[in-house]
Amino acid sequence: MQDRKPEDRLRQEYFHLLPDIRRVVWCLEAEIRYHTRHIVRSLRPHEQVVVKSRVKECESAVKTLRDQQEGRTFDPDNSEDYSLLNLPDLAGVRVLVFPNSRLVEVDNALRGIFQGWTYKPGRDDGGAVLAPKYYGYCNDVSTEVRAEYQIVPMLIGLFWEVEHSAMYKFREVANSKEMQEHRADVESALARFEAGIETFVQDYTEPSSGVS
Amino acid sequence: MKKDILKNAQYWYDFDRDLFYNRTAKKAFSLEFVDDKPEEEILRRMHESTNGSGWTFYFNSGPSDGVKRELERVLG
Repeated sequence: MQDRKPEDRLRQEYFHLLPDIRRVVWCLEAEIRYHTRHIVRSLRPHEQVVVKSRVKECESAVKTLRDQQEGRTFDPDNSEDYSLLNLPDLAGVRVLVFPNSRLVEVDNALRGIFQGWTYKPGRDDGGAVLAPKYYGYCNDVSTEVRAEYQIVPMLIGLFWEVEHSAMYKFREVANSKEMQEHRADVESALARFEAGIETFVQDYTEPSSGVS
Repeated sequence: MKKDILKNAQYWYDFDRDLFYNRTAKKAFSLEFVDDKPEEEILRRMHESTNGSGWTFYFNSGPSDGVKRELERVLG
């Protein structure tokens, strides 16, 4: 029988792993919702914490692994060298937070629960941390499938949803100096908007109104 | 700029493979190679002579025979 292409082997691996990936994402989302419930309960009317989870799609997982190879090509003679388990984000949860002042609170609440997870934050092009990100295992569900959770300023996170899917296919364009400048402009404008809202709320809130 | 040098020498960009390639010269440069190597090396590689019968790939980590076969199939 002719050897299968690496992509086909990886697709088979994906569907073998899928039940575990689903269980991991459900478990992680439930843990995150549970351990941030006190923050969600205390939100003021203009504040939001939104928890979104996603199972990485099969083709996206295969492409992500392929894109890690120089020339974005699998070696057909060494199909066994590749495994989707090398991806850190088959199961992912994103916590979108507005305004940014709530982000540290959410991060602190979760960091103690997911001790031992690897910290790898999302940074802007200047290197400043925009969004804390962690990788690890939900060991009581799966010791094979790694999961990722990220806490993101909501406006930046929603921008990323559009920007990443557009730029994903055009890495060379995405990394160009021109696009980096456009991205930095948007991120800084969104950050200024958030800061503006926070200052406004602070300036126009009665000192006693936060105490019940 | 390295990418302008390639563009001016009729190297096209393959967005799927992240390669700069020229079908006439039968040469392909990986994005990583172009990013990491100095302009002088890119120029030297562009002008160096090859045996002309097959593709020459400039990668940071030399591609395996299997990868070369795949890329030759894609690049035609």
